[in-house]
Amino acid sequence: MIRLPQQSSEVIDRGAPLRFTWNDKPVTGFAGDTIASAIAASGTRIFARSMKYHRPRGLLTADFWDPNGFVQVGDDPNVRAGHRLLENGMDVSAQNVWPSLDYDIKAANGVVGRFLTAGFYYKTFMKPASLWPTYEKVLAQFAPGGKVDLSSPPRYHDKRYAHPDVVVAGGGPAGMAAALGAALEGARVMLVEHNHHLGGHLLWGTDEDRAAAATLAEQCEAAENIEVLLNSTVTGRYEDNWCAIAQRSHDKAVERLIKARAKTLVVAPGLIERPYVFAGNDKPGVMLAGAARRLINMYSVKPGERAVVLTANAEGDQAVDALERAGVDVVAVVDARTGGNVIAAHGGAKSVEEVELGDGRKIEADLLITAVGWTAPTSLLNLAGDRPEYDPVAARFFSSKVPDNILVAGGLAGDGSLDELLIHGTATGELAARRASHVAATLQSLTPRAESIAAPAGDMPADNRNPLARDNHPELHRSTTHGIVDYSEDVGSKDLFAAAKEGYDSVELIKRFTTATMGPAQGKLETVNTVAVLAEARGETISEVGTTVWRPPYAPVTLGALGGRIFEPVRVSSIQPWHEAQRAKPILAGQWIRPEHYGNPAAEVRNVRENVGLIDVSPLGKLDLRGPDVPKLLEQLYTNKWQKLPVGGVRYGVMCAEDGIVMDDGVTAHLGDDHYLMTTTSSGAARVWEWAENWLQTEHPDWKVHVTPVTTAFTSINVAGPKSRQLVSRLTDVDLTPDSFGYMQVRQGTVAGVDDCIMWRIGFTGELSYEIHVPSGHGLHVWEQLLAEGDDLGVKPFGLEAQRIMRLEKGHFIVGQDTDGLTKMPTVGLNGLIKLDKDDFAGKAELSYALADDSGLPKLVAIQTADPSIVPEEASQIVRAGTNEILGRITSSRMSPTLKRSICLGQVASEAAAPGTTLTVVMTTGERITAKVMEHHAHFDPEGERLRV
Amino acid sequence: MSDFASSVTKTYPEAADAALTLTDVSATAKTLIRADITAAAAQDLGVAFGASRVVDGTLVAATRPTEWVVLGPEPQVAAYVAAVSDAGHVSKVDFTHGRALFRITGADAAKVLEKVCSIDWADNMMPDGAVVSASLAKVTCDIIRNDVGDARSYFIMSDRSSGQYLFDAILDAGDEFNMGVAP
Repeated sequence: MIRLPQQSSEVIDRGAPLRFTWNDKPVTGFAGDTIASAIAASGTRIFARSMKYHRPRGLLTADFWDPNGFVQVGDDPNVRAGHRLLENGMDVSAQNVWPSLDYDIKAANGVVGRFLTAGFYYKTFMKPASLWPTYEKVLAQFAPGGKVDLSSPPRYHDKRYAHPDVVVAGGGPAGMAAALGAALEGARVMLVEHNHHLGGHLLWGTDEDRAAAATLAEQCEAAENIEVLLNSTVTGRYEDNWCAIAQRSHDKAVERLIKARAKTLVVAPGLIERPYVFAGNDKPGVMLAGAARRLINMYSVKPGERAVVLTANAEGDQAVDALERAGVDVVAVVDARTGGNVIAAHGGAKSVEEVELGDGRKIEADLLITAVGWTAPTSLLNLAGDRPEYDPVAARFFSSKVPDNILVAGGLAGDGSLDELLIHGTATGELAARRASHVAATLQSLTPRAESIAAPAGDMPADNRNPLARDNHPELHRSTTHGIVDYSEDVGSKDLFAAAKEGYDSVELIKRFTTATMGPAQGKLETVNTVAVLAEARGETISEVGTTVWRPPYAPVTLGALGGRIFEPVRVSSIQPWHEAQRAKPILAGQWIRPEHYGNPAAEVRNVRENVGLIDVSPLGKLDLRGPDVPKLLEQLYTNKWQKLPVGGVRYGVMCAEDGIVMDDGVTAHLGDDHYLMTTTSSGAARVWEWAENWLQTEHPDWKVHVTPVTTAFTSINVAGPKSRQLVSRLTDVDLTPDSFGYMQVRQGTVAGVDDCIMWRIGFTGELSYEIHVPSGHGLHVWEQLLAEGDDLGVKPFGLEAQRIMRLEKGHFIVGQDTDGLTKMPTVGLNGLIKLDKDDFAGKAELSYALADDSGLPKLVAIQTADPSIVPEEASQIVRAGTNEILGRITSSRMSPTLKRSICLGQVASEAAAPGTTLTVVMTTGERITAKVMEHHAHFDPEGERLRV
Repeated sequence: MSDFASSVTKTYPEAADAALTLTDVSATAKTLIRADITAAAAQDLGVAFGASRVVDGTLVAATRPTEWVVLGPEPQVAAYVAAVSDAGHVSKVDFTHGRALFRITGADAAKVLEKVCSIDWADNMMPDGAVVSASLAKVTCDIIRNDVGDARSYFIMSDRSSGQYLFDAILDAGDEFNMGVAP
């Protein structure tokens, strides 16, 4: 193949040469070239090796669907050379060949090819199962495709949502006419074209074709309400015309997935030329008429020197003209419409050398062009429930029935002159716009925020289009010899016959058994021939066999495109900039980024026990409860009693689900008349809110309660330690004396000059503590003021880890850490908070059974290891001594800086929960250690004297 | 009292003259009002679910069937909210500190939102004044269309703790439209 002199039809820019390498050899192409056209112009005929037999392969379609055009470009594998535009500096190489494309040692597979029939792998490598790991390693060496470089930096992918009135899939003449027709009716149109130019088959057609394409394209580009997406593919159509569009032409993103909710979808992808099955049909030099015309007319590449053309249609006839114009010696034109046929292509490894015809002639040629018919790519229609039907007169499938919000145009709908296609396309667009208006009116009428609709939508506009005719076309699928049916998967017609003989007589079964149609072309080239060969093998018609059901994607999509932009929301408190400035070690707790510690959690613990510390507890869930029936709601949610909680009081409670499982815990403060503030666990805030709303909306809609989440309205700071009162008193107008502000009480006032702060005396650390909830816009200010004012008191921040240590020293359990999805309330040792004499509360029935006999429930106990220096890992199993019988597990464990020994909480079987019981703990190393059940949950200050001072 | 500190703590080059701008207006006073739709308060507020109106220097937006948000300068919001009837079961919660509030303004504003949210921003579905709750970059937000003169403009209100993340996500989405941060 060589580059032809400049032609008026070419799309390359000879003024913009591009240099790249092909298998390490320098090559020059031009802007506008595809990788394939540039390589072809350099004289290359072999582009790839086939998947199974490693047979040399040349260009077949020279477009997106070319099964022989997959190359590695730098670190980008499986690039479609027939489609990807050439760029300067590209490093292009053949895939899965060794040592080289020309001399591939794996071609030895071809020698044993007759043994590698359909199902070979299933039959050969299933037994013995023990050998599969070995088989797998060997077979992996033969896996097709390029190389993935895991060290490559991630590239930017994007996502977008769109709501066009009309999506037109296909930018050929029918698609462009439809887009213009719809736009003239006022619709907002998204015109999606798979290739880099609008025009479809007109681009490689006659001068008149190209002129028409240019005019239509200009009109589309100029139309304000048409968005043209080139190099983009509608990859799927889902419920309610939710269309997935892979856009490869974005300026800043490698790819963008557009999720378009089209009110109507016009499907106009055109037709895809299909290959002919005969011996040697995969030799380099055998190509489709469309490929030859694209190479010559668009890229000015001469595809060969001596050509035989098998033609059954105008595409083939025009290929003859193009070849002759390019200076190719067309030595034979075999007209299938008058009975002509090709039997075989003979030749060496690198090219066709001789073509054997049906009449017995053998003609020397290096190029064999076939034009034997079309595949109708009905994928998007299949996805809408359509089951295409085969028309033997036209020799292709046609749509049978599609929903009203889908319209078909172009080659999928029928045949005709360019004018006829445009008239039909325009009418399709107009109808699409009218139907889109109908859908829009319905949507508007159902959407409160939308503009009001003057009149109801009425009936869906009827389809009054004049249908396109269907041209007669000879049925040409397989010659009298066997050849390749699926080029991507190396499946031949002989394989299909063999599979049918083995009983795989359904097209869906034979597809899966042989893998025909399952390659990267996804059946666009292979499906019809697969069905035809199966029909032949079964002695049936193509209609009787039917076709496979196409599923998304229409064309393969990268995982990057499907992932799109990655949204991973994180939440931070107003103090986070300070934490970061102090280089606190961050920890992700749910979506919250929190300081785990500031360098030394043990020192942080000691400082709280001896002086005073601050912790940012803003993620603590907070719900504002207002209304006269709040106490009723609290009674319903918590297991204990709430009716008598006075204003200024704070109470702890546990929430259970209906099955008695511990769901959440926290404290609730009575702030004022009909006004409460509830706190939840940090991770349980949303769940508790939903739980409360569920009770209010479904069980007690008569209760007057408003539940408003206010978690981030307040920055929450816990000031803990024996000097906390001294510190806080320096900054607040609230009387902190113990008589005025006792344990489990709440006050409101000013802190560090900030009004409307809420302060309550509770704490998770076991120390005298004040939890201050500050309006978040002033949270950092109060935090900094506390640190500044407490410098002489030794105030220091402490993080989540120190808090967790201190709460474990105190024996406080954490929901989700010391409980699990099976933990009922009696397990955690708070039976005193279960008030069965209340009228009702969530979990009451189940808990009444559990309290009657809780001997079968595990118990949460404090555990001390015999060797105080050993800290068993959390989740270590507790077993019956001398056996592997599981009795429980360690749920929390740490080394206590206060007690200077190991401290644990664990769930154990009731029989092993008595204080003093000796337990056997299995360490993760397998070592068994002994431990003892302690009398109290609290390892430290079990009477709570420190926090009540 | 210290100055109000926004959840957006990073600094950005200012581009007040950009054709498309993102502005942090979190300091705007915000009050949430909840009431039954039959309550006198609902009549006072005067907008039904999905709509908003400008009244007495405030923007009143019906974000849920029984929920309204009042936005604006603190004195005006306080005065307006105080005038809303308390008859029946009515809650008025100051949301100023609990919500981040941004404004995106410019002809391409909807194109930016298309990249982070699946809502249809067309004029007929989301006209000036319309209110919707939706996920923006996976953060639940209330969005109010509030055009500034002829310029398309949206208020975006989210939980405060996600404010910085959301601000950056919107900026990233607006990069291809040359969106700038305006004071």
